[in-house]
Amino acid sequence: MSNPIKLEVLTPERLVFSAMVSEVQFPTAQQGYYGILPDHTPVLTPVGDGLVFFQQDDQPHCLTVFGGFAEVGPDRVTLLARESETIDQLNPEQIEREQQQALALLKEAKDEAALQAAQRRLDASLIRQQALSRDTSH
Amino acid sequence: MANVQDIRRRIKSVKNTQQVTKAMKMISAVKLRKTQERLLALRPYSTKLDEVVRHVVGRLRAVPTLQPGPVAQAFLAPREEKNIHLVLVASDKGLCGGFNANVLREAQAFLRDCPSHVAHFQAIGKRSIEWARKRQLKANGEHTGLAVTELKQVASEIAAQAAEQYEKGEIDALYVVFNYFQSAVAQVPMVMRVFPVEIEPHVEFRAETPHLLEPDPNEVLEHLLPLYIETELLRCLLESSTSEHGARMAAMDKASSNAEEMIAKLTLNMNKIRQASITNQIIEIVSGANA
Repeated sequence: MSNPIKLEVLTPERLVFSAMVSEVQFPTAQQGYYGILPDHTPVLTPVGDGLVFFQQDDQPHCLTVFGGFAEVGPDRVTLLARESETIDQLNPEQIEREQQQALALLKEAKDEAALQAAQRRLDASLIRQQALSRDTSH
Repeated sequence: MANVQDIRRRIKSVKNTQQVTKAMKMISAVKLRKTQERLLALRPYSTKLDEVVRHVVGRLRAVPTLQPGPVAQAFLAPREEKNIHLVLVASDKGLCGGFNANVLREAQAFLRDCPSHVAHFQAIGKRSIEWARKRQLKANGEHTGLAVTELKQVASEIAAQAAEQYEKGEIDALYVVFNYFQSAVAQVPMVMRVFPVEIEPHVEFRAETPHLLEPDPNEVLEHLLPLYIETELLRCLLESSTSEHGARMAAMDKASSNAEEMIAKLTLNMNKIRQASITNQIIEIVSGANA
């Protein structure tokens, strides 16, 4: 199967992912998931937090993405993410620790801002965990 | 005349200094490599983001029917610059040649020629804080001892703050004074306006169909602006940090070779004096034997 779309995921720290794929789905900031097939009309849209799914050689894959921007062309999807990791960059123990910390913070949080920050950390760790569990199921 | 003992002592002290400068040079070289890697890693991201911003802004400016929201306005229709937010980036430590002096001079010149009022001033690095204090500039935010990994956090804080201030109408523009990293040996102090974005008329309109802006242009701009400011600030901070290590490396290299030169001179001098005293002694012995 051909892979006509070039998926690129960039963060300020590094190039996370760059390869030819055949289908991409990414979370937008407000409108749920956006599915991209070849020859999609060019689109610019904010990206939300969640998992990016893509098909490569008929195999489903995913990676995490947190905020940023997506630029879609007929033959490319470029994600400018604030943060992003591929599955092999994730460390289960670290995520577990992060989750425990976030839960503890959530309990201790006194004001709204602290509560939100803790919630965000918890959500991020959940998304990462989800990414890992998806990968092992294949 | 200085005696041999004195000169030997001096050579020893110069050697010690040289060891320190050599070590500092090597440390800077390592740090330079690390920060430079980060700077290079940021480049594809910031280039792409810049391209997207220019594309969107270039297009929306051409469409006057749009009613921009307060934040989107910063991109589309710059207000008159009455109040500005200034971020001055220098280093915490000295011993890096003209690094701090240059950037502070640039800041001085900018403040002198700038017609607008500096409503909000932020100093990054001990040297810039001291400089501001000397000139009785009140800094609204100070950062010192930043590690490379913390730069992102700082950049996003400043960006969020600036965007909020713009929205409230407290500031009309955001400027950064920093050292631009040209190469390991050349750092150029410069002033950059982060926003409003300066955009040349969009000549190379790409041939493909223009992008849809989802969900709507305003929304896209409201997301794009903070991200853009954040990235540009991060780039400035990284440029400055990379420049600092580059400047220090060059300065320490110079110091080490100066020390080398000095040791050579002193050694020559010492040998001359020693030889002179030996010759003297021989003359005394010979003339004594002759007598």
